[in-house]
Amino acid sequence: MKKQVTISVSRRGFVAGALAGSLAAPSVLRAQSAAIKVGLIHPVTGFVAYNGQQGRLGGTMAIEDINKAGGIKSMGGAKLEALLGDSQSKVEVGVAEVEKMNEQGVAAYIGCFQSPVTIAATQAAAKYNTPFLVDVAASDVIVNRGLKNTFRLMPGFGVCVDDGIANLGNINKAAGSPAKTAVIVHESGEFGTGTAKLLASKLPSIGIEAKEVIAHDNPTRNFDNIALRIRSIAPDIVMMSNYQNEYMLLARTLFQQKVNVAGFYSILGGGFNYKFVKEMPDVSQYMMDVNHWFNPKSEKAQALKKRVEAGGALFTFEVYLGYSTAMLLADSLERAGSADKAKLTDAIASSTFKAELMPYGPTKFVNGQNQGAKPAVMQSIKGDIEVIAPEEFASAKAVFPKPKF
Amino acid sequence: MSRQAVLCAVGLGIAVIYPLLAPNYLINIGMMVFFVAFIGQSWNIAGGFAGQTSFGHVVFFGTGAYTSTILQVTYSWNPWLAWPAAMLAGGIVGWIIAFLSFRAGLRGSYFALITLAFAEVFRILANSVPFTRGGLGMLIKADQRPINFQFKDPIWIYYIALVLCVISLLIAWRLTRNRFGARLVAIRENEDAARALGIDVFAEKVKVLTLSGAMCAAGGTFYAQKYLYIDPSIAFGVDKSVEMLLVSMVGGAGTIFGPLIGSVALTVINEVTRGLASVVPALKNVQPLSLVVYGIMLVLIVARLPDGLMGLFRRKPRHA
Repeated sequence: MKKQVTISVSRRGFVAGALAGSLAAPSVLRAQSAAIKVGLIHPVTGFVAYNGQQGRLGGTMAIEDINKAGGIKSMGGAKLEALLGDSQSKVEVGVAEVEKMNEQGVAAYIGCFQSPVTIAATQAAAKYNTPFLVDVAASDVIVNRGLKNTFRLMPGFGVCVDDGIANLGNINKAAGSPAKTAVIVHESGEFGTGTAKLLASKLPSIGIEAKEVIAHDNPTRNFDNIALRIRSIAPDIVMMSNYQNEYMLLARTLFQQKVNVAGFYSILGGGFNYKFVKEMPDVSQYMMDVNHWFNPKSEKAQALKKRVEAGGALFTFEVYLGYSTAMLLADSLERAGSADKAKLTDAIASSTFKAELMPYGPTKFVNGQNQGAKPAVMQSIKGDIEVIAPEEFASAKAVFPKPKF
Repeated sequence: MSRQAVLCAVGLGIAVIYPLLAPNYLINIGMMVFFVAFIGQSWNIAGGFAGQTSFGHVVFFGTGAYTSTILQVTYSWNPWLAWPAAMLAGGIVGWIIAFLSFRAGLRGSYFALITLAFAEVFRILANSVPFTRGGLGMLIKADQRPINFQFKDPIWIYYIALVLCVISLLIAWRLTRNRFGARLVAIRENEDAARALGIDVFAEKVKVLTLSGAMCAAGGTFYAQKYLYIDPSIAFGVDKSVEMLLVSMVGGAGTIFGPLIGSVALTVINEVTRGLASVVPALKNVQPLSLVVYGIMLVLIVARLPDGLMGLFRRKPRHA
């Protein structure tokens, strides 16, 4: 039989206990540091919703991992709290999210996938001197405006075009220079137009002439005419810069129309990912893409890839860039030892963070752009994606010119 | 003083005091309400009062946004001076579209579709011609000084939106009082009957679209100055046309306060549903649900209130 214990508390004892408790409470509160709020703004609805959802997934997974590892240690183990925002693929909604999260006391923002939304959102955050870390958005205008609060870990389209052109030159040369002409197909927004303009101006430097530059709208649901136009021009290379759906649709149409060229070489091809390669292995076979890519030799990247895929998602660039950007923020918070906006901005600006998932060196920010950021060149080979350049991260050799359809 | 005038004065008083008490986020929402109400009113004047339903009103919005931005960025105009120039450009575009469409005898859905076509043509042009920088878009340099039509404190941009909205309400109010407005209503109700009464239908329709175009263009400049970046999809995208049309239809087309009421309702619904995922933890990562809720509420409003929300305030006839 259990012995019943009766604890009697006198009125005086209760008052003394309550007083002691109230005196001790602040120290308990101090030990449990307040959460640091991080605003994640992505287009989780609208025409690039899939990309936005992937970016959010990367950011939230990183925050989960940071918190599991004990939070920000220099701040007493403070946890990160993700505030989730949907830009709905609209500039004004993106800015409204910035304002809303500012009221909620965010320490920093991460986002926004689309360049126009990012341009406006970073500007809105600059009013409050709140750091804004761009996880994905290719336009170089974002970091060329002198905003002190804006940082981008990934390369912009300028660097991607330069690297892409240099690598295409090498691939072509190694194959005996079979490619002399190209057609560029791009989406008509800021990212596609900017990339296409740079490409057209730089292709002659590697002995390739841009025969035509073709723009298309977002969304475009039929590429038959563009495919027929390309076939009539008969270029050696087709170069694409567009978002996911248009990229996949264009590639499929070119395959269906049997547009045979020496190679398909996209710069920031939004649809070049595992989904495309797995779902359309015949279409994607030997297509090349210059894009953000994880370091295939990184164990952490491979482990994260497994986790993401185990959750039923694909390990696309939005995921690992979102993840790496949140990790960069955590590293900066750790060094700043504070969520104070000025201290945090300084910590990011002086960061030498090594994004282990990415094929980058330590970060070095100049005007907010990470100078060590580099794209990789990938090729779809037998239903998988292989890195073919830069050489130190390569997992396969380029197949160029590609066999006919 | 009539009951309506008292209500208006109280409403205006609240709108003036509101930003002094509200946090920046709510000021931004208030600004959006008045801005959307303003461009919605520009649609309402042509589509609601005159019955000239347009699906491509964004053509005027984009014309205004691009005119002031080009003048400012390329020709170093002060944005305050570029603003009336943008309105003039919007008015001219309105006049041209009206002249061509109405001269060709286009009415109803044909007119609605031709405006959509004009908007698309302008979007493609903005994507193609060099002086708009094509798809690269145009960025206005951030220099937050009132002289540049940029403000550090969001309260000022809120007040400008409020002033625009009040002006648009006054224009709508005048239309319910003057002969021009009466002629527009006559045209809306029966064009042939209006012509038989001696109304120059063609001239009145051209006039109203010119006025509407100038107003909408003013909204375009306001938008460009607020967000400091425009591209062809933003300036001439069909979603803005839908927004203008929607606030008027939901609030009550052809009424003075319809666009304002519609803008308040849609903005509140949008903000509340968008915030669902952050408030309810179970809804995290299912944010598209907010659009579903938004859509359902829109369907309910349109189905249950064919005269828009303003229909709620109308006195019902007593049954005998």
